[in-house]
Parts: sequence; C-alpha cells; structure tokens
Amino acid sequence: MRDDDLDRILSSQQEIIPSSGFVDAVMDAVRHESETPPPMPFPWKRALPGLFAACFALMSVFVAGITPFTRGTPTWPLPAGLLSSLDLILQAWKTVGASWIALALIVSLASVKLSMRLVSGQV
Amino acid sequence: MSAAEDQAAVEKVLSGDNSAFEGIVRRWQGPLVNLAYRFCRDPSRAEEMAQEAFLRAYRSLSRWRREAAFSTWLFAVATNLYRSELRRIPVRTVPLDDVVEPMDQQPIDGDLQAGDRDRAVRRSVFALPPKYRETLILFYFHGMDVASTARSLALPVGTVKARLSRGRAMLRSKLSQQLIPLQLRKEAR
Repeated sequence: MRDDDLDRILSSQQEIIPSSGFVDAVMDAVRHESETPPPMPFPWKRALPGLFAACFALMSVFVAGITPFTRGTPTWPLPAGLLSSLDLILQAWKTVGASWIALALIVSLASVKLSMRLVSGQV
Repeated sequence: MSAAEDQAAVEKVLSGDNSAFEGIVRRWQGPLVNLAYRFCRDPSRAEEMAQEAFLRAYRSLSRWRREAAFSTWLFAVATNLYRSELRRIPVRTVPLDDVVEPMDQQPIDGDLQAGDRDRAVRRSVFALPPKYRETLILFYFHGMDVASTARSLALPVGTVKARLSRGRAMLRSKLSQQLIPLQLRKEAR
C-alpha cells in the first residue's frame, strides 16, 4: 500500500457531533470548579523547624538507644539469649551501614513526596 | 469566533467572568471531541475526555502565553491529557479476524473491498506503539500539517517527521500481513 492510499484513508475519518448537553455539562463542571475553594497549601515555612527538630530528636533517641549495645554495657538487665541476638543484629546493622541506608531512603522518600506535591500544585 | 475573540473570552474569564468560557467551549467542542474520538474510538469516552480537557484548560488559562494561538495551546493541553488518559486506560483492540462482515460492497483493488481495507488500516494504527500512533493520529487530525502536529506534541518538527516515517513503515508492514489473509478469505468464497 502506498503513502497516498494511507493518507487518503486516514484523512477521511468519521466525524462525530458532540451531544446537545455537552456545553452545559462542561459549564456545570466549570462552575463547580470555580465555586470550590482552592486546596489549602501545606504551611511548610511553619512546619519545617518542627520537622527538623523532630528528625533531630528521633536521631538522638536512636543514637542514645544503640550506644549502650555497641559498647557492650547494657544499662538494664536483659536475658542472655536476647542480648546476643540484639548484638548480632547490631553487628550486621553496623557492617552493612544500615543507618546510612535508612537515612538515604528516608531522604529519598521525602524528596519524592515533595516533588509530587510540587508537580500537583499542592504546595 | 476568531482568535481575537478567543483572547477576549480568555481575558474575561481571567477577570472573573466564568460565563465567557462558554463561548470557548462552543467554538472548540467539535474539534476537541473529535480529536478525543480519534484517540479512543468511543463517542461517550471522547466526550468525557474532551470535558476533562476543557476543565484542565480552564484551570490553567493563566498559563497560556500569548505567543502561540489559543487553539494551539488548547490542542496541546487536550493532547497531553488524551495521551495520559489512554496510557492509564488503553483502548480495547479487537483482532482483525473478529471484525464484523463489511456492509460496503463496492469493489476496490481487485476483490478486496474498500470498507475492509479502511477498517484494517484504522485498526492497524491502534496496534502501533503509542508514540507512532499518537503522531499519526495528530498528523491526520491537523490536516497533515507537521508543524501543528509538532506543536500539539511539544516535539521538534524533525522528531515528528521521523516518527511519521517510521510509523508509516510499521503500518505498511502490519497491513501487508493483515490484508493478504483478508484477500485470500475473499477469494475462497
């Protein structure tokens, strides 16, 4: 089949006529849209200090929590089996640098979420 | 309504007179619904898609830069929406063998009838990968104007030409596979 034939066939497409209520339906949607208040933007300026403080507190608690285990001097008595399991988990955690991986994942997730909010115009 | 009237209507809408948008809808409802129909081949879905396109245009009217014609911007908005809508819920295509027997009895190209061939061509367009299918649909919708097609797709003219060429080649290849069995089936009767 030649290009001319393709052009002829694809140019002669069937045309449809919009239904009689189409304009009214669109205008109803437009009116509804204009009456709906715009979504309230997230107050990033106010929330950011709090978020940073919360992250810092979380990290502090985390570091304070694992320090005794890494030094091998628990501050409260634990059963020997549980202690050795925790020690193994912490050793593995340290070996693979899981803290950094977790931090990187959290930062990535936060940046993706923020980008998506920016794209959808919610910020 | 001319381009100047489109612009005046947009200014009115932007200054708070939403009823002015009705003129825009009345002028462009046919082209936008028909463009959607070419993408989805379903009249009711085409109207839904066109309505959403008008709403999207209404929401982002302030982003229309007056460098391009309003219609160019409107088609770009609609095209963008239709493409993403069809990627979200693709058109259901039927195998060529399941096509209903043609009503058109006018012979063309030997025994193969015009209706069969036209249907096969349109069906084959829908079997193309999206980037070629969308380019071909828009090219023929815009009366074979490459520049308008490029503007609607927000692509360079060269890219559109390359996609048209490749799309047509793929279409010819698909058609040669599909039309020969159709011809043989006719001859067997």
